Amino acid sequence: MLGHMALGDLEREVMTQLWDAGEPLTVRQVHERLSRQRDLAYTTVMTVLDRLAKKGVVRQQKADRAYKYVPAQTREEMTASVMLDALTSSDDQDAALAYFVGQLPPDALAAAIEAAQKKR
Amino acid sequence: MTALLLGALGLTLSLVVPGLLARARWPDRAPVAAVLLWQSITLTAVLAALGVVLAAPEEVTRAAGSGQFAAEVTVIGALAVAAVIIVRLLLSLIGVSRRSRARRARHRLLVDLLDRAEQHRELGPDNLRILDGALPLAYCVPGREPRVVLSNGVLQVLDREQVDAVLAHEQTHLRHRHEVVMESFTAFYRAVPGPLRSRRPLDAVHLLLEMIADDVARRRVGAAPLRAALEQLSDAVPLADDVKPEADARGRRLARLSSSHKPSVVLNALVTAAAVGLLVLPTVILVVPWLDRALEEWPL
Repeated sequence: MLGHMALGDLEREVMTQLWDAGEPLTVRQVHERLSRQRDLAYTTVMTVLDRLAKKGVVRQQKADRAYKYVPAQTREEMTASVMLDALTSSDDQDAALAYFVGQLPPDALAAAIEAAQKKR
Repeated sequence: MTALLLGALGLTLSLVVPGLLARARWPDRAPVAAVLLWQSITLTAVLAALGVVLAAPEEVTRAAGSGQFAAEVTVIGALAVAAVIIVRLLLSLIGVSRRSRARRARHRLLVDLLDRAEQHRELGPDNLRILDGALPLAYCVPGREPRVVLSNGVLQVLDREQVDAVLAHEQTHLRHRHEVVMESFTAFYRAVPGPLRSRRPLDAVHLLLEMIADDVARRRVGAAPLRAALEQLSDAVPLADDVKPEADARGRRLARLSSSHKPSVVLNALVTAAAVGLLVLPTVILVVPWLDRALEEWPL
């Protein structure tokens, strides 16, 4: 059986495969890519993709007879939105998560995140 | 008389004292006790408001010598208003903690998926997550499965010792459950009617919690790396000129880290005593005698 940590690791590895592929992948294709590094059941990969789809981070596309999976956002997009969420607070919302660097106004934040992403 | 005094106390505690305490600098030397004092001020203000709601109608009807029926109606009305205040506070608290939990759960899911920590196992803790991106960011995601998140930018501008200082700071927020303190102040802020609202307690307590985390990190790794980390991370982020309060807060934290650290035992004891006294004394001096009188003539 998969432990809790193992499942989290697996979800991350599946996402990494989808991000690196740059095109929609079938369960079989994800399974093949992961199997190069480790022994993994096909059904496990299917379960993980299903979970990720339920969480809204990957989208399912019907292609011919098989389902293909594609990330809902690119890695860069998701990173930027996570950072924005970490730094955002308003009176209607609960406090921001990230305080160490201090607070910026929202539009300055978005610009700063975007600029930093380009710098890489 | 009781209602008037309680009203004056409540108004002083919610309108006058927060401004004075937020401007004071001595809390920087006793941040833990100062957080306790803020909590005591807030709670006492709520209790005073409840006291006014309960005592004022009773005192007025008694002074007016109203009949049994009027007194009964007044007491029931007062209890209803008090119940509304309590329910509003509780609902606000439940709402804030539920929304915070949902937001953190989603955030945790995403940082777990984006994590690049396999390239940085030497940094240590299992709950550390590393994000791609040059914007230097360090924060924690509290909860049952807490996370500390660093962006790659942090690893680029800080050396190992400074990273350890940042980690010690963030782990302190998690270990001391600082989010619970912030949630309770946020809930209170949101429950107070608009014109009476003030962000002062929220902002002041937030800064004090940062100082508490700074103190633990300083004890663990020394003041120099923490101070350097704070400066490096601030310089790396373009802070707009109009964010003055934030710049002040940073200045206060840096100033504490430059001076030699002598936790003031006397100040801590005094402030803690003040916090406890504030909570207990009005009840003993004002509420208990009133309750004695009121219960004697209890109409129900």
